[in-house]
Amino acid sequence: MIKSRSIFGLVAAGCALGLACPQPSRAVVSDEDFNALKTLVQQMNGKLQSLEQTNLQDQRVIQQLQQKLTETQRTAVEAQQNSIATAQAQAAAPRVPLDEATVNHNFQILGDAEIQYNKTDHQNGAFLLADFAPIFLYRGGENILFEAGFDFGLQNNSPNGGGYTTTVNLSFAQLDYVLNDYLTLCAGDLVLPLGTYSERSAGWLNKFPDNPLAVDLVPGTGVGAELRGALPLGETGKLLNYSIYGVNGPGSANGTGNAGALDLGGNVGITSGGSTANTHGNLVGGARVAFFTPFKPHYDLEVGLSGQSGEWDDAGKHLWSAGVLDAALHLGANFEAKGEYIISRYGSDDLGQIHQQGWFLQAGYKLAGLNLNLPALNNLELVARYDSMRDGLGTHTRRYTAGYIYYLTSALLFEGDYEIIRSSDPAQPTSQFILQMSYGF
Amino acid sequence: MKKIHPQKNFVALTLAAVLVAGLISPLTFRVRAEEPKTTAPATTNSVTPSAVSPTASTSALHKKLTGAELYSIHCNRCHPERFPTERTAAQWKTIMLHMQVRAGIPGKQSRLILQYLQENSGR
Repeated sequence: MIKSRSIFGLVAAGCALGLACPQPSRAVVSDEDFNALKTLVQQMNGKLQSLEQTNLQDQRVIQQLQQKLTETQRTAVEAQQNSIATAQAQAAAPRVPLDEATVNHNFQILGDAEIQYNKTDHQNGAFLLADFAPIFLYRGGENILFEAGFDFGLQNNSPNGGGYTTTVNLSFAQLDYVLNDYLTLCAGDLVLPLGTYSERSAGWLNKFPDNPLAVDLVPGTGVGAELRGALPLGETGKLLNYSIYGVNGPGSANGTGNAGALDLGGNVGITSGGSTANTHGNLVGGARVAFFTPFKPHYDLEVGLSGQSGEWDDAGKHLWSAGVLDAALHLGANFEAKGEYIISRYGSDDLGQIHQQGWFLQAGYKLAGLNLNLPALNNLELVARYDSMRDGLGTHTRRYTAGYIYYLTSALLFEGDYEIIRSSDPAQPTSQFILQMSYGF
Repeated sequence: MKKIHPQKNFVALTLAAVLVAGLISPLTFRVRAEEPKTTAPATTNSVTPSAVSPTASTSALHKKLTGAELYSIHCNRCHPERFPTERTAAQWKTIMLHMQVRAGIPGKQSRLILQYLQENSGR
């Protein structure tokens, strides 16, 4: 009995233990699933390796970018430092001029050019290059100016030769040094202030295509030195103009003291033989004083008196002297009248004292002053001139001139003149017709 | 009997007509001339310089002159007016030095004219 109980107990304990112990799990996986799972794991492993490689590459790129960023930052810092250094250097250096007007030196060309058609009685009409006259200006600083004017022209060669010759003349060449507001020192081949015509004779300044006869009685230029200037008289624009000069003066064309040998254009200081000499013993002196008064803009009067005197022949026995009274009047922007009275005296070996004189009076009126609504007429100016000259050697010439100026622009002029000439010299023409295109630049 | 030259008479009449017209014109058109005018610089190469020039006040000169007024007074003495826009500021500086010497303009007036020309120049 006891044995049965023991067996029963063991069985019961075994059952209890069997119930208490977890039952072992036992999954059932097929080969197909296992292979699929294996493939999947392999693929995932491949992707993982690929991602690792990509990650490595990205890391390298990031490192490179970081290096570049570092370099860029360094460059930016250097650039900033350079910029600061440059700005500091510029602040310390002299300021670069922004306006060309502040430049100390300047070269400039002015001048004029004229083309004519000229018909003189008993001669064939012809076109001619009347003048090409550039003026070169060189300014050095505030008060130094060198100015030189040239005249270019054309003329046929001799009758037995073909072609033509270009003539070039130095009209003037002078160095101007402005001493102060009232005085300037000039030296060189000077435009002489005997009257005002020689200083205002450029083609587009002169209202006529040719010069007044009487201006041939005085030299236009002379080699020497001059002091000139202007003194304002009050604040209303009135001026006193003055100049005083010394030049070599006139000379003798052939060395003699004969009346016909007077040469107003020579004696420039260097002889044809190359030696440096005045052809006569002493320099010649001259001066001009003038009063200018404006009544209001474009209304003014200028009156001047000038003269020159000195030896002219090589022996120094004879004096040549001249005096000029000049006047100019403006009544509005449309009317101008001016004139000069010129006398000269000089001694000679053969004819004794020679007395020369001449004068001219000219006037111009712009039809714009009529206030007509006719543009063609507004550009037109009527001009007239009377001039006369006695050369002291027996010739008396008078000339009457009437003409017009058509202003294509303020500096481009188309002029036409008809001249009637009365002269005791039979070789002189009796009439002349001139057309001229003139440009001032 | 004295011989009469028709051509000479024609020229003499022309000269007389120009003189008379010039003398009478300022009186005849005085009212129009005293109308206010612009002080602005004219355009380059204007055909009728006198009609459009930068003329300053036309009243009598009882006050201190400006550069524009001095420009009108001096430049027209010798040549048709040239306009500020025709040259640069540097060119005007050289040209005015030339004109100061050639036309006999006092230094102070020359500087006032230069200032006017440069302020209205072609740059």
